[in-house]
Amino acid sequence: MRRLYIFSNVIGIFIFNEQFQIFDKYLFVNSEQYKNKDSIEKRFYKKYPGLKKPTKDGIKKILAFFKNKNFFEEFHKKNILITKKMIKDSINEDLLIIQAVSAIEELEKSINILMKRLREWYGLYAPESEHYLQDQERFLKCVLGEYKEEIPSVMGANFSERDLMPIIKLAEEIKRLYELKSKNELYLEGMMESYCPNLVSIAGVKIGAKLIKHSGSLKRLVESPASKIQLLGAEKALFRHIRTGSKAPKHGYIFQHPLIVNAPKELHGKIARTIADKIALAVRIDYFRGKFVGNKLRKELEERVKKEELRVKK
Amino acid sequence: MIKKSRIFGVYEDKKRKLYTINLTPGKRVYGENLVKENGIEYRGWNPRKSKLAAMILKGCPNIFIREGSVVLYLGCSTGTTCSHVSDIVGNNGFIFALDFAPRVMREMIFVTEFRRNIAPILADANFPESYLDRISQVDVLYQDIAQKNQLEIFLKNIDFFLKPGGFALLVVKARSIDVSEKPKLIFSKIRGELEKSLKIVDSRTLEPYELDHMMFICKK
Repeated sequence: MRRLYIFSNVIGIFIFNEQFQIFDKYLFVNSEQYKNKDSIEKRFYKKYPGLKKPTKDGIKKILAFFKNKNFFEEFHKKNILITKKMIKDSINEDLLIIQAVSAIEELEKSINILMKRLREWYGLYAPESEHYLQDQERFLKCVLGEYKEEIPSVMGANFSERDLMPIIKLAEEIKRLYELKSKNELYLEGMMESYCPNLVSIAGVKIGAKLIKHSGSLKRLVESPASKIQLLGAEKALFRHIRTGSKAPKHGYIFQHPLIVNAPKELHGKIARTIADKIALAVRIDYFRGKFVGNKLRKELEERVKKEELRVKK
Repeated sequence: MIKKSRIFGVYEDKKRKLYTINLTPGKRVYGENLVKENGIEYRGWNPRKSKLAAMILKGCPNIFIREGSVVLYLGCSTGTTCSHVSDIVGNNGFIFALDFAPRVMREMIFVTEFRRNIAPILADANFPESYLDRISQVDVLYQDIAQKNQLEIFLKNIDFFLKPGGFALLVVKARSIDVSEKPKLIFSKIRGELEKSLKIVDSRTLEPYELDHMMFICKK
């Protein structure tokens, strides 16, 4: 009995004989057909009983057959279509979270730069208020005239309306940036609460989002061990440690976690390890769409931290 | 004054700047400079952006990519080097440009839309089986992937797609294999592994254009 092989690619479905010459073929008209190629393949299996998939060596010979100028235009067109579709499908919640958290970080940076300029500028007019109002938002209110207490100014120059105007305009813009930032934070919070509630309850919105951003996606965060999660964001220190044998870093992004910040210094490493463990657990539950156990995990974590703190105090 | 260089399809001027003939006159890919001479438009080839150009400037006598070659390009990114390979192979040749990241592939798509000899493939080079149906056999394989298992990927793809007697170009980035190991040691290890199944034709480090990089040219 003659032996026939079936091979389908983006161009169509091809039947080859033993010498790997074309025996029968079906060319796809559109990309829909490529997606539903199984039904057409079935027809061929019925038409030629004993039809087989080629072995690895067979595939190599078949691929050599397609190295022909006549096929290249089809390869070009079909691959562009398929790749475009794949790019479209690759957009997911991870990417939205990453963009949102990056936007917030950049807004923070820009606000800081502009705020520094505002302080310098307004300091010419009212150095006392600039000095006493260290809190950024209170200072901003003062510039905009919304602050109630009047701080008398002796050192300040007398500015005309024309000189004061650009300062106030700048302050207004910064205020708007603050509003934009808090809107983005609200959006990110909503996203994170629905996408990975367990992670949020352990690590908080911001650290959680940063961890996702740094590892690239929730999937990749799930694949990383707790020890890696502990050091995400501390790569520079880690590689310096590996290369030169300097001190090993204790924590990366999770350093900003309130439990670590408020803990005594000798406990930082230990607590960072515990938090990273819990994050690894929480993330896995989130990724596989498990139940919400964030409260329980959080409680366990806090108890553990308290126990350690008591031990140190003794 | 732009003249032919030793390499097929690659041109150079008196200052040893490299050029390829622009396949799509008037169009830039990555902001390179276009030079017109005697009615032919050349695209400048920057060795700091493209490792293949660095290899040529390091004195490589033959890159084995010629007009009409079919090339599998693993790790095309946004198509900087790929566009010059596309210039060299011309309209009779063809390139399958593969990358794993959707973000860079998005840029690549715009390049492939006006360069008709490139087919974009969004797939993981670790699994050749997953893109069998989008590709043909090739004459030349070029790989520039910064992954820890880049050698394994290289050998797998050679096995599946490179024709017997075809040439394969591999860029090894020592830092992505092991940051703490000395690059020289990594290169000699890779050389040993390659020599098991392939014949090494040429190998050069890419300094000063790229640090801790080495390019191997092998024959299957």
